[in-house]
Amino acid sequence: MANGFTGKIARVNLTTKEISTIDTARYEEFGGGYGIGAAIFWDLAVAPGEWDLKDPYDPRHVLPIMAGRLAATGVPGAGRTSICGLSPETFPTSEFCRGNFGGRFATMLKLAGWDGIVVEGMSDSPVWINIINDQIRIEDAKELWGTDTWEAQKRIAAMVGGRTRYGEEWMELGDSHTTGIPQILCIGPVGEARSRLAALITGSGVSGRVGGHGAVFGAKKLKAISVIGTQSIQMADAKGVLNARLWHMANGNIISGSFGPAKPGSASCNPCLRADRRRNSCYGGESMCVDQFWLETAEPREQDLAAEALMRYGASGWAAHFVGLFLSDIPGAPDFFNKKVPVETGLGWYIKYLYDIGELGPGKKIDSAPLPMEEWGSLQFRKALLDAVSRRVGIGDALAEGCLHAAEKWGRLEEDLESGALRFPAWGATGHWTLPTAEWAYNYLLGAGDPSWHGLSGAVGPSRDGTPIEKTLEALSKKTIPYTDDIFMFNYAWKGKEAWKTGLYSKHKAKEVAFTRYYASFWNESMAFCEMFLPSLPAITPEIEMKYYKAVTGRSDSFEDTMRVGQKIWTMERAIRVMHGRSRKTEVFAPFMYRPGAGCMTYFGGVPIYEDGKWRSDQAPEMYLDRQGVEDFKTHFYALEGWDKENGWPTRKTLEGYGLKRVADTMEKKGRLGT
Amino acid sequence: MDGHEKPEGKEKKIGRREFLKGGGSALAAGAIAAGMPASARASSGKTEYPESKAYLVYDSRICWGCQSCMFACSSAHYGEANPSLSRIQIIRDAPSFTTYPNDIVMSVCRQCVTPVCVENCPVGAAYIDTENGNVRRIDEDKCIGCRTCLEMCPQQPHRTVWNPILGKSTKCDLCIDTPFWDKKGGPGGEPACVSICPAKALKLVSDAPPQGDVKGYDVDMAPPPPKLPFGPGGPDADESASQS
Repeated sequence: MANGFTGKIARVNLTTKEISTIDTARYEEFGGGYGIGAAIFWDLAVAPGEWDLKDPYDPRHVLPIMAGRLAATGVPGAGRTSICGLSPETFPTSEFCRGNFGGRFATMLKLAGWDGIVVEGMSDSPVWINIINDQIRIEDAKELWGTDTWEAQKRIAAMVGGRTRYGEEWMELGDSHTTGIPQILCIGPVGEARSRLAALITGSGVSGRVGGHGAVFGAKKLKAISVIGTQSIQMADAKGVLNARLWHMANGNIISGSFGPAKPGSASCNPCLRADRRRNSCYGGESMCVDQFWLETAEPREQDLAAEALMRYGASGWAAHFVGLFLSDIPGAPDFFNKKVPVETGLGWYIKYLYDIGELGPGKKIDSAPLPMEEWGSLQFRKALLDAVSRRVGIGDALAEGCLHAAEKWGRLEEDLESGALRFPAWGATGHWTLPTAEWAYNYLLGAGDPSWHGLSGAVGPSRDGTPIEKTLEALSKKTIPYTDDIFMFNYAWKGKEAWKTGLYSKHKAKEVAFTRYYASFWNESMAFCEMFLPSLPAITPEIEMKYYKAVTGRSDSFEDTMRVGQKIWTMERAIRVMHGRSRKTEVFAPFMYRPGAGCMTYFGGVPIYEDGKWRSDQAPEMYLDRQGVEDFKTHFYALEGWDKENGWPTRKTLEGYGLKRVADTMEKKGRLGT
Repeated sequence: MDGHEKPEGKEKKIGRREFLKGGGSALAAGAIAAGMPASARASSGKTEYPESKAYLVYDSRICWGCQSCMFACSSAHYGEANPSLSRIQIIRDAPSFTTYPNDIVMSVCRQCVTPVCVENCPVGAAYIDTENGNVRRIDEDKCIGCRTCLEMCPQQPHRTVWNPILGKSTKCDLCIDTPFWDKKGGPGGEPACVSICPAKALKLVSDAPPQGDVKGYDVDMAPPPPKLPFGPGGPDADESASQS
């Protein structure tokens, strides 16, 4: 089919060892990638009604691992893999959570002839899945269990390819050939230990960190999925894809990167894992990766080795954060921050906090053994932490469950969420950017896990060329389809009448947050554009997305149509969450978000605030939330989405409007349909 | 895979193919006659070939290994995205278990001054396109799929590419015949791989690179040396740490 799909999705049951296929066309209405993954999760895990959707380690848990629709076509920045399912990482409950990762796995999966792979069941003994074009085999992984992620990948590559050196000659696969090597998604010892900190690793330094799905691999005794393929991806208009790329290069930036963009003449290696390794570009040209910064030090060798240890053990650098890269003075912040509030804190930081207040240490109330607390933050300490978590020895057993579960075990949960020592804004996910970029905060609240979506953060910042704020926002408001021409959706006023009238707690802000979810659900999660790459709201969005989309898929949809699909995916996501217990009552921020000191640094200079009839750009470091205001925001948001006011549950009318009658019927049987 | 040297440019040990090579030369000499001027045939009996007027060169130090060129190549020629059909192969130990710069092999057809593929094709399908700057090409209509050119290519991996769908050999034609690429290819043209490369690591030149030097096509295209993030000079202060 000449539309970017391969046409089939693999379904692998690790309990029965049955391997079957799903026809991709059945799910095309969900766009591709994550959209299809969420719909499959509904059909296989939710609709049968045989499971309460509580335990992510239940054998009935289904993990759709999906390639973006535009992957493997040469479209830049669109090679990401989506994974969704119940998250071990979220707190207090395992929430339905989606994450995605870059690298080359999705591209190779499609070149092998698969739009995705759905893993279900649970193996009795360790296994790995071996995909060579159309052939899929479940292989014994006893010899691989216990190996780190690099070793596992090297061994599997040697087994699949039958060679130890790359690049020497073409490899025959049936009647076709390749010079490539298998792309392998795997877990390390942290995942094997079913730690909630576990990431999925592919290659040397790409991690799927959001959601802790590496622990689900561990529970299923699935060490790795390896894939290599030599097939073609058919596009509706190959010439159109190439021309779109030329247009993109002429009118935008095909290069992105979180720590300085890649530039011609600079292949090595910022910020790829280790200074002596090449930039970790995805297939197709876009280039960035960020998780590998795990230790800031002037000693480059230590920095490299810390990143390497993180990847080899297979841990999420985000969940295991020590102190985030960006520090700010935040008025009203608790004393323990010494006025320098980091954007992110995680497990490493929390250990230090408890050590500093005398609660944790050798022989203390919380015994820190075997961690060398006197060397906190060092490379040695980090390796000891990873080792303790992997083996679940001493304090490692509690830490393997993540900060919030550990705090609960130690009887510290309420106190530390109140003070902000546990700086997790909602659902236990590590804080990334939150306030004053309020759409981030609301995305934490309404979703699950780090939303990691930067699309508006820079776009609403002050103009560098002196353009008045109103003009910038007016131009921006033309792009926020379907909610256009409302510049108050960019108003970050957070106190006083204006906050309710046009600011953070208004129906205007609901539209902004909704736009971010629709865009991300379709373009970033399902077409799989890296969110650091697109959107480019001040410039070439939506022109460039649509050029690629139409050329690959051949569809005549408008951008508004695609956003409608994004809204449908977001509604399906909501339905899944409602079925495992989400409601207005459970959808609350951590207490510290309602106190002075809740904010973090604003990047790109500030957020627009409209008060007293004037716009200004403001860093707003003092911003915090009002409880009633957040409830009012939820009311506006639920109404916008067609969810009921009382619970935030989608109504039948809403669901049927998306062609989701079957979803409405299932929800009604369970008593979870909005009224 | 750590510590292995980059195998690029190694001369293939032909060994068991020596016999075939000799026979192939005899066949090829006649077969190419129609595609080249008579003046190119030296009186000594040893065939001399008109040099290509364009060569694809590269800089392996600045390549990102993103393989955009491979997708562009297969798309431009076949309208399909498939790196296995690409006539340029960027082979990466990806992502990055081997240290820079030995983690990439850039496998580019050299448009050899003495084209072994042309010399050995038993049916004259591999030929010199005198109407298009003497680019070494394969006429897919004539190719019988014997794979001799794959076996005889002295480069490792071989630069002639097997197309299992067609059942024929193919090779880089510098985008002279690209139904899905709007720009003109060939000498003086804009091949898809060169135009699409985001790292500017490919270039078309008119002078033949040194043929004896296996690294002769790997040229310096980057005036500033690659910056290492943590090494001397540190990160690019102007553009670092903008987001996370």
